[in-house]
Amino acid sequence: MDLTRRRFLWAGGGVGAAALLAACSEGGTSASSGADSGPPRKGGTLRIGALGRSGAVIRDPHGTQSNESDYLIISLLFDTLTAPGRGTNTAARLASAWKASDDLKTWRFTIAEGATFHDGSPVTADDVVWSLRRLRDTPAGASRLPGIRSENITADGAGTVVLVSDYANAELPLLTRLTTFVMKKDTKDSELDRAPGTGPFKLDRFRDGNARLVRNDRWHGGAVLLDAIEVTLFQTPQAMANALLGGQIDVASNVGPVAARIAAARRDIQVIRRPDDMAMPIVMRTADGPFADARVREALRLAVDRDAMVEQVLSGYGTVGNDVLGTGDPAYVGAGIAQRRRDLVKARQLLRQAAFDTSKTYELYTTEDIAGLAESATLFATQVREAGVDIKVVKQESAAFWDKTWLKGDLYTSYWGTNDSVVFFASKTMVSDSGQNESGWKDPAFDTAYRKAIGAADAGERKAALREIQRIQHERSGYILWGMADGIDLAGPKVRGLPRLPGYGRVQLERAWLAS
Amino acid sequence: MAGLLRRPDPNRRAWRVVLAVVRRAVLLAVLLAVVFAAVELLPGDAATATSERGEGEAALAERRHLLGLDRPLFTRFWEWMAGLPTGDLGTSARGVPVAELLGGPFPNTLLLGGLALAVTAAVSPALGCWASLRPGGAVDRTVRGSATAVLALPEFVVAVGLLLVLSSWTGWFPAVTLTGPDGGVADPSMLVLPVLALAIPQIGWNTRIARAALADESRAPHIETAVLDGLPRRRILLHHLLPGAVPAIAIGVATSTGMLFGGAVVVETVFNYPGIGGVLTGAVTDRDAPLVAGVVALTGAVITGVLLVADLLRVRFTGGRA
Repeated sequence: MDLTRRRFLWAGGGVGAAALLAACSEGGTSASSGADSGPPRKGGTLRIGALGRSGAVIRDPHGTQSNESDYLIISLLFDTLTAPGRGTNTAARLASAWKASDDLKTWRFTIAEGATFHDGSPVTADDVVWSLRRLRDTPAGASRLPGIRSENITADGAGTVVLVSDYANAELPLLTRLTTFVMKKDTKDSELDRAPGTGPFKLDRFRDGNARLVRNDRWHGGAVLLDAIEVTLFQTPQAMANALLGGQIDVASNVGPVAARIAAARRDIQVIRRPDDMAMPIVMRTADGPFADARVREALRLAVDRDAMVEQVLSGYGTVGNDVLGTGDPAYVGAGIAQRRRDLVKARQLLRQAAFDTSKTYELYTTEDIAGLAESATLFATQVREAGVDIKVVKQESAAFWDKTWLKGDLYTSYWGTNDSVVFFASKTMVSDSGQNESGWKDPAFDTAYRKAIGAADAGERKAALREIQRIQHERSGYILWGMADGIDLAGPKVRGLPRLPGYGRVQLERAWLAS
Repeated sequence: MAGLLRRPDPNRRAWRVVLAVVRRAVLLAVLLAVVFAAVELLPGDAATATSERGEGEAALAERRHLLGLDRPLFTRFWEWMAGLPTGDLGTSARGVPVAELLGGPFPNTLLLGGLALAVTAAVSPALGCWASLRPGGAVDRTVRGSATAVLALPEFVVAVGLLLVLSSWTGWFPAVTLTGPDGGVADPSMLVLPVLALAIPQIGWNTRIARAALADESRAPHIETAVLDGLPRRRILLHHLLPGAVPAIAIGVATSTGMLFGGAVVVETVFNYPGIGGVLTGAVTDRDAPLVAGVVALTGAVITGVLLVADLLRVRFTGGRA
């Protein structure tokens, strides 16, 4: 469920070289990003690059994957019960259907017809139960399958898996999207390297984080077009961009805005923008400290110049945010709540009313975990200075940040890669007793709206509760969500049918194909 | 004079070699201890660095226990060192044997560093000799000038420059090194740019050394005699000057080994070369002391070995003169 931490930096000089490169290549408009024209063609090998570190390679589908390359390989080999979808945030994958009991506690998942492992054996409920329990028993299991105890995952016959939640949860299927990879029952840890999956591709070879996968002709999810996929691990986005520009790979996955700007000058390169990919909110502590007064938080939200942030921090590859997280959710209100705009007069006024001490300097902690994060902090500090608030940016080393600042600091930057669910953020970071309550927020009205949303069987009632969640969040939470970064993939001229979903939706390559 | 003519006692010589080996081994052990301590001093630890959001304090404590991080630094270091003689490099913070993690990348780095060293060893003396043919001439000034210029360039700058000129603009060589099915470099052409990026600054350095050593040697009495005898320049250079300059050149090239490994980390990153550079940077981020120490142990052993060979060569060439 979680975004695993990513710590890939644009090492300074490479960007310089890339920019130089761009200056030297001929100008022109970017290619129409992926016109899926013509009938899909079968065959061919797609060479894709993904970020990772060779010392951090993880083969265990239920391990802590910090490498995007590992996650990509694993999700091509193994199926999750459900998957992110277009138009709905939970689409069928290994589970073809699911149904809740009236109290929304017991959920029954039906395993897809004809689902088999790569060795030919059928997928049974026992395999799924074993895999989910294994996942639940990992150190992060409690946050991956919250509210579902290991013993409450059971099989009902060969084709149905029953999950019982400790509390009513209308969003339970959402929890099964990103890490519920299914392996055969009793797969030994020593056999993980070769464990057969059920996914659209089978493992041909794996070496030091690089892999070659071949088509699974018997995949239950439909015909796969590519013959094979070769995944190459890249340590830096700029090396990956260079490989793409030089024709050594066909797709540079999640390569970032700097590479996109470079590629925009090349007609033959497709720039694929996946909106709502990354949230980089600024977190203000609400429980105590200088930002505990809601008026101060409101003032800072009014002081930020959102358009400038998107333009400068994200190179324009993003959209303006409205302080509500989960922007990719079909239930996201968007236009339903007035867009907050910069209003320095009102910001100053609110600060005066709250008797905010503007003579002091406040520290904003940030890291260089992901591209643009530290830059967002610096620009934010410059902007709020115009409202009379003096903020000093403190760049922390990643490990120190997660250890000392995250969940504890008064003012810091955070980032999240799962953005297609309003409820996800509510449950994880905003409900009073949430395990990762980043801003130390306790708001009874918000809690009530949240419980209503996940406990409502009626669609209308649920919709109203979801609106209320977003309204309260917009009004007084500890978050400043100034914008959303696009996910950016680059692709060569022949690649078609690449995924457009944000976050880990990018790994769904089973419909990709290569034009001749 | 009589002392010089006496053959050195072979026993004594063997002792000296053993002593040199022991001294270097102790140095390496001290270095490894420093590495362990340095990783410890960094903020955070392997447990937090390899966890994911949502792992509670209990899970972190358990992970710390599994990784042995709850034991004193010295104990951990000692246990790790005790495994070394058996070839056991310990287990990484992600639970993978370090030897397995380095099994693919280390030979690749050795290949890269070895080729760069070979290129350096071949090109630098040649350039030095060429420049020495006419001291103060145009060639000499050009070679010395450009050698000084490139030795001051960081590998990173050289790498990016090569990338632009020899790959992006001309398309002559691949921009990035891809890994082949066997874990090695997929195509030999992919080696060209990384090797050059690594070798060029070292060539600059070693050319200066070679040129200076030859200049020193040219002041020796027997050279003056040879010049007065009217022997051809080329002959004087190859038969009289060069042999005397070899020890200094060899030591110069040998000390480059360390620089090559240091530079390899940077160069590998630029070209995505599948070597230990990537492993090392990742290991530091993960606060993975056994993995960092494993990398240092292997590279340290290689550097130590090369320096030892250079020492022995020097003794052999000079016969104890220096």
